[in-house]
Amino acid sequence: MLKPEKMVKISVVGPKEQLEYASETLHKVNLLHIEDPKEAEYFRIGEPLEKASLVSRSLVQLRSYISYLKIDPGRIVPKRKYRSKEIEDMLSKKLEEYQEQIGSKIEENRSIDEKIRGLEDELRIIEPLKVLGIPSRLLKGYKNLRCFVGFVKENPVEELSKITDQFDAVIKEYEKELLVAIFVKAEYGDDFFRTLQAFGYRELPVPDVDDYDARINEIEREKEELLNRKKQLETEIEEIKVKEAELLLAIEEYLSTELDKSEMPLKALVSKYTFVIVGYVPAKQLDKFRSEVERNGKIVVEVIEEEEEDVPPTKLDNPAVVRDYELLTTTYATPRYKEIDPTPIMAIFFTIFFGMMLGDMGYGLLITILALYLKTIFKTEGWQKLLNIAVYCGISSILFGFIYGEFFGPFIIPGMEEPSKIHFLGDALSALYTFNHHHPLFDRVEEFGVKALLFIVLLIGMFKMLWGFALGFYNVYIEHGMKEAIYEKGCWFIGVLGLVMLIFGFSYNLEIFTSPPEEGFGALLPDNLYILGSYTVEEGRAVPLPIPGLVDGWQAGVNIFYLLALPLLIVWFVIFLKAEIPKMGIFGIIMAVELLTWFGQIISYARLLAIGLSSVYIAFVINYLSVKIGTPPGMALLPVAIILLLIGHAGNLLLGILDPGLQSLRLHYVEFFTKFFEGGGKEYSPFGRVKKFLED
Amino acid sequence: MVDALMDYETFVKGCAAIGAGLAVGLAGIGAGAGESGIGAAAVGAIAEDRSFLGLGLLFTVIPETIVIFGLVISFILMFAYV
Repeated sequence: MLKPEKMVKISVVGPKEQLEYASETLHKVNLLHIEDPKEAEYFRIGEPLEKASLVSRSLVQLRSYISYLKIDPGRIVPKRKYRSKEIEDMLSKKLEEYQEQIGSKIEENRSIDEKIRGLEDELRIIEPLKVLGIPSRLLKGYKNLRCFVGFVKENPVEELSKITDQFDAVIKEYEKELLVAIFVKAEYGDDFFRTLQAFGYRELPVPDVDDYDARINEIEREKEELLNRKKQLETEIEEIKVKEAELLLAIEEYLSTELDKSEMPLKALVSKYTFVIVGYVPAKQLDKFRSEVERNGKIVVEVIEEEEEDVPPTKLDNPAVVRDYELLTTTYATPRYKEIDPTPIMAIFFTIFFGMMLGDMGYGLLITILALYLKTIFKTEGWQKLLNIAVYCGISSILFGFIYGEFFGPFIIPGMEEPSKIHFLGDALSALYTFNHHHPLFDRVEEFGVKALLFIVLLIGMFKMLWGFALGFYNVYIEHGMKEAIYEKGCWFIGVLGLVMLIFGFSYNLEIFTSPPEEGFGALLPDNLYILGSYTVEEGRAVPLPIPGLVDGWQAGVNIFYLLALPLLIVWFVIFLKAEIPKMGIFGIIMAVELLTWFGQIISYARLLAIGLSSVYIAFVINYLSVKIGTPPGMALLPVAIILLLIGHAGNLLLGILDPGLQSLRLHYVEFFTKFFEGGGKEYSPFGRVKKFLED
Repeated sequence: MVDALMDYETFVKGCAAIGAGLAVGLAGIGAGAGESGIGAAAVGAIAEDRSFLGLGLLFTVIPETIVIFGLVISFILMFAYV
């Protein structure tokens, strides 16, 4: 956890004639992440094994069938697995059979499409000619006349008669355009053509058809026959798809495996008599790898000392539940090998944040059930991971819903102390809570709840901000040493700590830590932590920052937190200047404004409160309206009320999934990851294949 | 004129409430304007490459921080005066 799995750089060496055996074994073991080889004096990149071209040809053919049949391997769960030997035996026979069954059908289907297209093109010409009503033999073949047949946008006769009046024009309207046939003496032909072009003239090529009606009927008949044949072909293809899908995919897997193996030499360096393959193996698996590969006694596995510029691949190492969240981390970036893997932190806080925002037992339950149901439908790995996350988030929402006392909306009417009479479940729910007086444990629709939660989420924000910088410090320290780490991250850690102390000092003056609830959290701290006298909140007046010269009576407000903040901010500023001035010159000082950005990002955690509140109030409004509409003394339209409830809560649920999900993700990506996580690692992808349709 | 219609305290409370509304509303408009451009670009990128969906959605919600600022201001106003 928190670190990618440790890798060992190794080389696999053997005599050249063992290359095929090596590729076979490495593929089977499926552990070695092969590095791209660099050619050297005696070593050249190997050539693919002989069978590669044949295999890849068959594979291309097979894949074209699979894509034509629209078989989605992600949706198919194999009923039985095939042995490689079995596939190998039937391969050539099956390929021929498919060529015959599917290939010929695809071919025929394609030619039918082409014919239909040809017929439709012809129809598009003949139909206008039929409207024009002039037989085709009268439209062409003149010696002294030019005949223009085609479409124009407007009536050109007036323009044309300016050239000469010795012409004849037939004009018909056809689908918003004008269809014209214009006959003119050959000598005016070019002038007429130019004028017609100005009217957007589009020529119709006149075919040798005399009886338009007969030809149209003929085309229609032919087209119908072709369509029938096409439909028949499609049913046949569908039948093949149902029958052969699994075998097709098994063969595809087999051929892909064979192709991988036969192209492996491209990743190896080969000299006259030997070969070398360099790559990484997880340290834990090294012994297993070595014993498997060295089994025939002719190939040797050797561990290589890692060099400074080596970039090992990243294999995230997390327990099962956390592994689902790797999806969210890698969407941002793949951690580099030496970097901290933030997935476990993300797993905990993403789930908590989601629950904190949605915080409703009803919605949480629905999300959980929905996700569990969808898990039985969408079987691909990505979906499974995403839906697992949804289940955890659903459970977290139920827990927080219990704490907040919300079930499809708040349990307590906002602004009143007593349990809501217009709650969705009304008194039924009150009865459920035998400890009704103590529930909700934390009420976020009351004023105190909002204030307290606001402060709590800001606390979370400050904590995560500092944590982010601490992790960043570690990352930079590992890669570039202590000095860089202090300049780049440590400096801001101290700065933000100073900022946090300022916020605490401000809060202390607001009596948040010293007053009983309603005003604060109770007497958590003694109320005499003032340095220069004491301070009390004046009615209706915000607490000033004790800045000498700017605020009257500033001495009174100086408490221990402000006193702590001062040296922290000074230390931050000094380190900051030492780090920035050499790089940026004197104007680097402007960059100190960045401290305000971090303040903004702490405030940004207020969304944990805000998103939740909006969804609570939407739910509340839906419940309120429904009760008013559905029951006397309201309109007593129960069906309308029920529809409103269903639609309203469905919509709110949708928002409740999307918004907390996105905002929680954003709080990690933007406010947390930017402090320490750079990413850009190579994903560990071992040479080999996880078999789905085949078995060993 | 204010004195004639209501007392001073009510006037301040009313102004604070209006201010709180404006803080959220105007911040919302600002964030919406910001998001419109990002959203359009994100949709374009997603049309090119489906795998951009996650990141695109994320970029789109980034300006929402502004609304949160507005909201915090409105909370402070409401707590302090209303």
